[in-house]
Amino acid sequence: MKNVRIWFVKDHECRYISHLDLNRTMLRALHKSKLPIWHTEGFNPHPFATFPLPLSLGFRGTNECMDVKLEDDDFSFEEIISRLNACLPRGIRVFDVTEAVMKAGKVAFASFTIKLSGDKLPSGAICKSVKELLGAERIELEKKSKKGVRTVDIKPGIKSCKITERFDFAQLDVVLSAGSSDNVNPNLLITALQKLTGAEYEADITRNDLFDAQMRPFR
Amino acid sequence: MVSREVEKLLLKVQKPGRYVGGELNEVIKDKKDVDIRFAFCFPDTYEVGMSHLGMKILYSLFNSRDYIWCERVFAPWIDMEELMIKNDIPLYALESGDPLSDFDFIGFTLQYELSYTNMLNMLKLGKVPVRSADRHGLKNIVVAGGPCACNPEPITDFVDLFFIGEGEEVDLEVIDLLRKCRAEGRSKQEFLELCARIEGVYVPSLYETEYNPDGTIKSFVPKGGAPAVIRKRLMKKMDESFYPDNFVVPLVEIVHDRAVQEIFRGCIRGCRFCQAGFIYRPVREKSPETINAQCRALCENTGYDEVSLSSLSSSDYSRIVPLLEQLTSWCRDEKVSISLPSLRVDGFTDEIMDRIKTVRKSGLTFAPEAGSQRMRDVINKNVKHEELMQTCATAFAGGWSTVKLYFMIGLPTETMDDVAAIAELGQAVVDTYYKTPDRAKGKSVRVTVSASSFVPKPFTPFQWEPQDTIPELHKKQEHIKDSITTKKIQFNYHDADTSFLEAVFARGDRKLNSVMALACERGFHFDGWNDCFSLEKWLSLFEECGIDPAFYANRRRSFDEILPWDHIDYGVTKSFLKSECEKAYQNTTTPNCREKCSGCGAARYGEGVCFEKRQDMVR
Repeated sequence: MKNVRIWFVKDHECRYISHLDLNRTMLRALHKSKLPIWHTEGFNPHPFATFPLPLSLGFRGTNECMDVKLEDDDFSFEEIISRLNACLPRGIRVFDVTEAVMKAGKVAFASFTIKLSGDKLPSGAICKSVKELLGAERIELEKKSKKGVRTVDIKPGIKSCKITERFDFAQLDVVLSAGSSDNVNPNLLITALQKLTGAEYEADITRNDLFDAQMRPFR
Repeated sequence: MVSREVEKLLLKVQKPGRYVGGELNEVIKDKKDVDIRFAFCFPDTYEVGMSHLGMKILYSLFNSRDYIWCERVFAPWIDMEELMIKNDIPLYALESGDPLSDFDFIGFTLQYELSYTNMLNMLKLGKVPVRSADRHGLKNIVVAGGPCACNPEPITDFVDLFFIGEGEEVDLEVIDLLRKCRAEGRSKQEFLELCARIEGVYVPSLYETEYNPDGTIKSFVPKGGAPAVIRKRLMKKMDESFYPDNFVVPLVEIVHDRAVQEIFRGCIRGCRFCQAGFIYRPVREKSPETINAQCRALCENTGYDEVSLSSLSSSDYSRIVPLLEQLTSWCRDEKVSISLPSLRVDGFTDEIMDRIKTVRKSGLTFAPEAGSQRMRDVINKNVKHEELMQTCATAFAGGWSTVKLYFMIGLPTETMDDVAAIAELGQAVVDTYYKTPDRAKGKSVRVTVSASSFVPKPFTPFQWEPQDTIPELHKKQEHIKDSITTKKIQFNYHDADTSFLEAVFARGDRKLNSVMALACERGFHFDGWNDCFSLEKWLSLFEECGIDPAFYANRRRSFDEILPWDHIDYGVTKSFLKSECEKAYQNTTTPNCREKCSGCGAARYGEGVCFEKRQDMVR
């Protein structure tokens, strides 16, 4: 039995499916590929796969990963890649298979590229608003949870943010805290910006990489 | 393929995955390489439409021809529809992203009457003129098939031609004819007149209806060489009939998210309320070998780990045990489970139970349809009380503790005692559970009793019957509720309002076209969904058009009335339906097709159960 980490891109049509749908799509592809993936036991055996950090619906992911257990070591990583790609929709492409070096729980940060545009808003103005937002001492937002509405400050969760003015959008390259405890979804940043300026924005969001607490690339 | 404009909307709507295509096994062609572009439209949401087997068959079949590109179109849900209208984005096909108006054929499958408004709304959203008369030339030919095509009269102003019966052959014949007519430079009128000569094609514009002063039909006359009677088409040899080895595998979860394998068409039973039981006659089976091979190919190509064996009554498949044996021989190793829906009460044997239990255990559903034995005899359900109890005991002994029971209220000749018997039957199932010695230990039984309202349908022995009025149906629903005394029975019932509208359209005539047109103008859609349906709004439409809906739903027709669908022939004779109706009044049952031939007329096709060796012939 060997733990392997399967790396893939989630984009195009598949950008619009939820994590639950991604999970289902992956399980079907694993089943169709006939790779010797370890299955759960019980009434309804299915291939066992976990995702170190789910991706929100609507985001592109260039470096996503999924962990599975291989029952048979005879398969080369190249073979796994080609077999899976033959079984997946075109919006999901596997590009690498590695050993699972770090434990899934080690994920602490994620980097994103956010392309922000707004109706009739010049990109310079958007950049200026973002700078203003990030310059504040606290960025408070109301977050709804099962326990009711509470106010959270997302400022500490923004590790870095590079702002670039492009021709028709503002590009934000941000590193945000990620993982099970202090996750900051980039959509929160946009909500905060909307709250600040009252304008409506369109955001094209790509998740690039995951990192551990020491900012080492997650492997 | 999604345009930049559509992408802007996708993050503002629920479940955007249903508007993007890009699924595994989707068929993409170059439009320059094809002669015919066919938009296969399902007039409901993606999740519902993608679950429909007929669409999967025809999608694969059409795309197997190199000169046809068939794409899929579904009704956008109301949030998406609103945004599309606001941003002036026409309804598009998922594969190419091209608008509906680009297509040569726009084909709808009509599975239920309440989707008619969605059909018209989809044309409107696709910027295709809704009325046939406003569409010119050999483009945007609107065609429709499916069970509702058996009485298409309420929507004849909008659809150029209907396919009557099974579509595998006739659809291609019409497609090929369009190709030919185009090459010959013919007009739409000429094309339609030639279509009408193909068996199984109904071109409604080639017929004229006259009415009596009381609103019933006086005459129905063909013109332009159209046949007086339109005969259905059917596939004679199921083993040789086209079946896809591949399904488009949705990215988002759909209603029936599994591989579906058809095992036979038709039904031997002849339950008198059931339209499918008559229009799909005669029963034609696939061989276990064909089914097994097709199942295996489907699982390999889709990655599904569940196959559902589909038919109107799975346990009536004559070789069910050998079939399950073949399937289970590989399913276990491949971790594929088999589900067997549409089991009859009397078809649930130990052997079948063992076979389906080895893989997965789901809830059990049976449809006794009526509570009292007399009522079950009236509808020819041919299920005895003892059989139901025996079946439940078998299931309980096998570890099940949840049973769903489906019933109908408002059936012909029904009394309040018959209605109360529904609750009593539920109670008897609960009692059976506690009488079963080897039931699951420490578990309580849960019986769900569902009651829907009877809708009389064309081509059934009850096609002349009035539907109960809404207040009568409400009274019966209340009566069941009051008759249930235990918390172990959960009672659900269907909304009577939608059943009423369904009854109006099911047996409607051409006068209803004006109501449909107005409904489309006013933006009616998704009538099958509680979110959108409003009987009040419909009643005011009827009033505005000067039409009394009760004329269609609640009126008893005489046997000699000309019915709006009399010119369509599904192989079962009107005289047979009449004799079945008379037998119902006498509480008399009719044996099933395997026990004895009752001479319904379907033997004329020369195939299927009509030519099997029957028990009465062997003896």
